Amino acid sequence: MKIAVLVKQVPGSESALRVGTEEQWVDESALDFEMNESDSYALEEALLIKEKSAAGGEVVVVSMGPPERTPKVIREALAKGADRGIHIHEEPPYENDPFLIAGIFASALRDEQFDLLLSGLQSADLATGQTGVILGEFLEMATATLVMATELQDGSIKVKRELESGWSQWITLPLPASITIQSGLNQPRYPSLRGIMGAKKKEIKVLSKADLIAGNTPLQSWERLYVHKKEKRTEMIEGDLNQVVDQLVNVLRTEIKVL
Amino acid sequence: MAEHYEAPVLFYIIALFALVYMAYNLRRFFTVRRGKPETDRPVKFLSALINGLFFGIGQRRVYRKTFTYAAVMHFLLGWGFMELFFATTVDFFSARGWFVRYLPELDTPWFAALNDLGGLMLLVGILMALYRRYFAKPEPLPQDGFGGRWNLLGDTGILLLLLLLVLGGFVTEAARIAVTRPATEAWSWIGYPLSKTASASFWETVRPWLWWFHAVTALAFIAVLPLTKMFHSLAVIVNVALTNRDRRGRIRPMHVSQLMEDPDVDLENLTLGVNKVRDFTWKQLLDSIACTECARCTSVCPAYNTGKPLSPMKIITDIRHSLYEQTFGGGEEKDLINGKISETELWSCTTCAACMEECPVLIDHVPTFTDLRRFLVLSEGKPPAQAASHLEKMMNNGNPWGFAQSDRTKWALDGGIELPLFSVKKKAQVLYWVGCAGAYDPRNQQVARAMVKIFEAAGVDYAVLGNEEKCTGDSARRLGDEYLFETLALQNIDTLNKYEFDRIVTACPHCLHTLKNEYPDFGGRYDVQHHSQFIHELIDGGKLKITSSSDRKITYHDPCYLGRYNGEYDAPRELIRSTLRNGELIEMDRHRNTSFCCGAGGGNMWHEIDRGERINLSRFREAIDSNAQTVATACSFCMIMLDDALKVTEQEKNMQVLDLAEMVIQAMEPDPD
Repeated sequence: MKIAVLVKQVPGSESALRVGTEEQWVDESALDFEMNESDSYALEEALLIKEKSAAGGEVVVVSMGPPERTPKVIREALAKGADRGIHIHEEPPYENDPFLIAGIFASALRDEQFDLLLSGLQSADLATGQTGVILGEFLEMATATLVMATELQDGSIKVKRELESGWSQWITLPLPASITIQSGLNQPRYPSLRGIMGAKKKEIKVLSKADLIAGNTPLQSWERLYVHKKEKRTEMIEGDLNQVVDQLVNVLRTEIKVL
Repeated sequence: MAEHYEAPVLFYIIALFALVYMAYNLRRFFTVRRGKPETDRPVKFLSALINGLFFGIGQRRVYRKTFTYAAVMHFLLGWGFMELFFATTVDFFSARGWFVRYLPELDTPWFAALNDLGGLMLLVGILMALYRRYFAKPEPLPQDGFGGRWNLLGDTGILLLLLLLVLGGFVTEAARIAVTRPATEAWSWIGYPLSKTASASFWETVRPWLWWFHAVTALAFIAVLPLTKMFHSLAVIVNVALTNRDRRGRIRPMHVSQLMEDPDVDLENLTLGVNKVRDFTWKQLLDSIACTECARCTSVCPAYNTGKPLSPMKIITDIRHSLYEQTFGGGEEKDLINGKISETELWSCTTCAACMEECPVLIDHVPTFTDLRRFLVLSEGKPPAQAASHLEKMMNNGNPWGFAQSDRTKWALDGGIELPLFSVKKKAQVLYWVGCAGAYDPRNQQVARAMVKIFEAAGVDYAVLGNEEKCTGDSARRLGDEYLFETLALQNIDTLNKYEFDRIVTACPHCLHTLKNEYPDFGGRYDVQHHSQFIHELIDGGKLKITSSSDRKITYHDPCYLGRYNGEYDAPRELIRSTLRNGELIEMDRHRNTSFCCGAGGGNMWHEIDRGERINLSRFREAIDSNAQTVATACSFCMIMLDDALKVTEQEKNMQVLDLAEMVIQAMEPDPD
């Protein structure tokens, strides 16, 4: 069983985010980074699948990001038990189009012939929730999103998908498959010191985004990053009762759009 | 001149066998050689001698107010036993006529009187012990009648054997007096009246039988002594003598960073932390075999007292049992954790040191528990589930709450305070160590702001590290994550060493303890003061003026890491008294070194053992019962726990929880009248 886990290093959830000077991304200078939450569940699920499978296997952790900070998150995954890492070097400005990002990952991973590809449901920073699915399509894998439980079977994987309002469904995907993992389906392990020491000896293959990007084009681009301005506005509606009601209905329908 | 009763040679032959058998059984001591060498606790001859005399023979720590009955009981047992041991040794020689020129005789007046006193003390002690074990039954005291726990004769059998010895001694003495009628017979103030209770001919008939009975029981007692509970009388003296009291309660450094850099390290066979008895040091094993099972540790343990599955005594004796099983039982080497000791037991400990404070034989419980926790975290990657995310936040964000490192001075900015920063000033007399709680926890931010007011009012030349400050690693270390602790410690030491300051002042005793007592093991040596000590100095030196005073009733909750770990009980109390006018300082039942933990120590701030009562509520009820209006604290964790308890018990209208710095600030405001 050869499993790849996509992990992303994102700003910590308590970070004070400030828009960068170019208005393209946040100012990273004072940020603490951590592994994207649902990615850490995906990693744990991959490790559990490997441990449960009689034939063993390999868990490869893949991440794209700048060389200054990304190795930390890869080492963390290796300390927890991943077997080796792939680091796609990327200098700012970072890519933000999931179609392009998935294309870059596809170029990096195509030759590896993974049986299973796990990623977090979405990243805490961009939250597009698409990369894992598009990548699965690029690699001609079956795909499923919002996975809450997995059961590996012979040549296929049965997964429980989260639907709306407490509903869920079990579906079976033929392998190879790419699934995106919902947070909370397991208890991510804590890296032991033995694991941390062992991680230093594990291989991290370095690839360059520039080499992988060829032939891939973005489908969207950002205009500008800005903080949404909150505004308080009070409008007095005056007149007799009928006029007031008419106007109020009008405002609710056309401006606030709740009717 | 008394006539010698020549003890028969046969007695000495049996005695020789008894002594040889006792010596053979003393091999129990050598089981500790299974342990590893002790590197950071050197033993010095003079302190070993003093410890042996004071804490061993002198039983200094046995006599504690908390355990008055047991203290009196053990005084009688211990000194009665030692007197009779002395008497028996003298008699052993003089009965054969050896060294009689130097030794007193059984009828020498002072010796006769003293021996009867010794016997009576032992007798009363035994009766008190039997009463305690069978009628008073203090709860955590083990109840193994005639065996068990690797004790021949158990808890009851050994008392009955001692009873047999002391009663046999008295009647044998009475028989001797009745037959020999020495001129000084009245000095035997128990044996003499006893000898009058029967006719001389009766005593004459039974005397040889009594003598042999007493001789054989005494020799049997000596022969099996190391196999019984009485082994403690020897083991304790050895254990207290070899205790390095300066390092007591201190966690053993692992120097993980050196381990990480060692290219030859054998990862497969590397044990991090302790899971087998041979992974402990010899002293930790000696601790375990010296345990008397008096259960004082357990009876003061906050986890035990609130229904959590921890008994410090059980863990120490579990270690002993494993050691004996492997050395005498021929058993294979078993894992301790999830064998005899459960993970929940280990995580229940708040490291409050109440057990170590009470232990009469100087056992070092907490460092031993920490070594077991280290195995779970460092070897297995299994900290308590709730705590794991906080440990990750300490690593990623430099604080256990997970707030941004760059927001570390937000508490001041939001309050309009411009903090002097070391990154700007480079040099100041006082380095104010704010701590994570001061920086991020809303309640403790108020304490930090009070500290700033005090610094400003007293004109102190101070500065903070600001965003360069990181968690000291206290919780990480106590949760067994030595790697994380060391990482944080080394980063902080690097930062501290960049700047010039005379001393560090902190409001958090956990920061205080790590900075002052633990960082030196990693090359960071600083003069560190708790804010209670620092503010007390300011007031004493006239730099801070108390202008108003409180009429409130105040009780002070001693934080474990300020009191028991760092011995500071008085500065906070004097500080409180200096703010009082008609108010008073009331003590809770458990105060000073018998203070009861708030429940947050040992990393328990970051996870909860979901059993029994919450420790902070138990403690706060004691504060409510004291009728105090203000509960004063001097610790960031205690503040959070007690403030929470204040709300849970719905006492917000009647009571308040204040830090000492906040009380001082209030007292600095002009008097309303």
